[in-house]
Amino acid sequence: MTTRDLVLTALFAAIIVALGLLPPIMLGFIPVPITAQSMGVMLAGVILGARRGTMAVLLVLLLAAIGLPVLSGGRGGLAVFAAPTTGYLIGWVFAAFTTGFIAERVVKPSQTSLTQTLGFFVAAVAGGVVVLYAFGITYLAFITGIGMSKAFIGSMAFIPGDIIKAVVAALAGRAVMAGYPLLPARA
Amino acid sequence: MNSLYVEGDSFFHRLPPRPKLILLLTASLALFLTRSPLLLGLSAGAAALLYGSLGIGWQQSWIRLRPILLTIAIVALATLVLNSMEEGGVVLLRLTTLMLIAAAVTATVPIGSFIDEITLAARPMERLGLVKAADIGLSVGLVIRFVPEVVLRFQQLRQAHQARGLKVRATTMIVPLIIQTLKSADEIAAAIDARGIRGQRHARNLEDSR
Amino acid sequence: MDIRFEQAGATFGDRVAVEPLTLSLSERRVAIIGLNGSGKTTFARMINGLVVPTSGRVTVNGSDTASAGESVRRQVGFIFQNPQNQIILPILREDIALGLKSRRLSAAAVDDAIEAILARFGIEHLAARRAHELSGGELQLAALASVLVTDPEIVILDEPTNQLDLRNRALVERTLRTLDETVIVISHDLALIEDFDRVLMFHEGRLLGDGAPRDVIAGYRKIAAA
Repeated sequence: MTTRDLVLTALFAAIIVALGLLPPIMLGFIPVPITAQSMGVMLAGVILGARRGTMAVLLVLLLAAIGLPVLSGGRGGLAVFAAPTTGYLIGWVFAAFTTGFIAERVVKPSQTSLTQTLGFFVAAVAGGVVVLYAFGITYLAFITGIGMSKAFIGSMAFIPGDIIKAVVAALAGRAVMAGYPLLPARA
Repeated sequence: MNSLYVEGDSFFHRLPPRPKLILLLTASLALFLTRSPLLLGLSAGAAALLYGSLGIGWQQSWIRLRPILLTIAIVALATLVLNSMEEGGVVLLRLTTLMLIAAAVTATVPIGSFIDEITLAARPMERLGLVKAADIGLSVGLVIRFVPEVVLRFQQLRQAHQARGLKVRATTMIVPLIIQTLKSADEIAAAIDARGIRGQRHARNLEDSR
Repeated sequence: MDIRFEQAGATFGDRVAVEPLTLSLSERRVAIIGLNGSGKTTFARMINGLVVPTSGRVTVNGSDTASAGESVRRQVGFIFQNPQNQIILPILREDIALGLKSRRLSAAAVDDAIEAILARFGIEHLAARRAHELSGGELQLAALASVLVTDPEIVILDEPTNQLDLRNRALVERTLRTLDETVIVISHDLALIEDFDRVLMFHEGRLLGDGAPRDVIAGYRKIAAA
């Protein structure tokens, strides 16, 4: 790992932490508040790619584990890994990896900006929604014993918010790539 | 950013970090081996006593544990409604016990000791060439150092929007925030190499040095 | 102290940042001036091996910056344009200790070195402060302390008075005069360097002026006005 990759990873982890400090917002059409932090996970994959994006997310979880209040709402400490929603935190790692893995292969500098944005959107949904919920729901079902289908229904309210985050992450990822390209990874 | 560590002189404070982490790991596995309300109730009581012995105080504890207690309560309630009274009780006791032990470890291990433990645990991986153990502490320090800077940039961007009468939108905030932040990476990396902090043998040419 | 460039140049892709040049520096106070993008920062980075020459070679006291980069960087400290990015760890004391850690010193020796360097710049009161709370002048002094604590022979400063108010500028100027190390300063602040021993002027990647401050600065004013 070059020093530059190490610093990029740490700076992106700082961005993910800072996104968690923003107050959650309510959107009119979904009943739950949404926070910007999980969008940071999609952005990490989209902007840094699979390897560095995954490292950035791991670093945020490490900071939380050693007792820093870096997760949205000022949560932190080992207790956050003993919660019913821990599956989503573990899922972050795989979400960032999947998003980055797809983004690195689908999005090319030669494409039109619309194609690039769509590519990033697909990557963000695959990682930040499909993979993330697979982990979150499985863990929730396991820890409570309520079964997969009930756990899925209980989590559904959050999905529209995450789709919106994927849209923002795709638009932002496209714009960052135009202004400061880091994909494909220059390792 | 302040750590959740709390100064103190309780028995648990004096215990070195490693046995505490082993206790937490063992508990997280053992609690799922039993469904007995009596056993789970006893362990929850023991965990509460442990947490209580740290001298954190009711108010501070409530602030710290509220968000996680809330999700545990919601999930336990949902389990109770969807399945049975007993299932709900098991979930509540198991998760509360785990949360209390985890919170007790967090409150009694300072960040420096945590980083030392992690660096030590990473040594075998270092021998395999996967990571450089010393990079972990450096990375943690870098994040703590740059979070306030990112927040400051965010506020400046919001003011810039207001000064120009622009509506604050997610993309017009996030894009410049990320570009400005990542652009400083080159200089920070150069500073680390210039000071010989990672002991790199070869410097790499920065592509956009002027 | 002896810095030598032997037909050393740097090219990034197809952009020539510094055209090959040959010179040796042994003066105690050297300034580098030039317009934005003239190659002065790349030249300075070549001295401590942060940029290795793509042609020719650069040596510091006989050590080649390309093959003995680590030993060169031990001798040459570098203060970056934005000291904000120079301070790497949250608390100033931790940051200063960082440079000493790779030297395998005892904890007591590290503490002594930190105390000494803080006292030297009169910033003992800043030791426990967070880097993001420091003012521009304080940051510049903190960056100097974090670099000079490892005793380099040469220190390079990239625009040290940039964006400082008058009081902080005076503080940095005074501090520069007290340094025993060889000082190489990149600056647009011509008043700061007018009593330096030697001034180098870069223009479009070429060394266009080299000599006493008065003459080189006069040449620089002509280019800037053109």
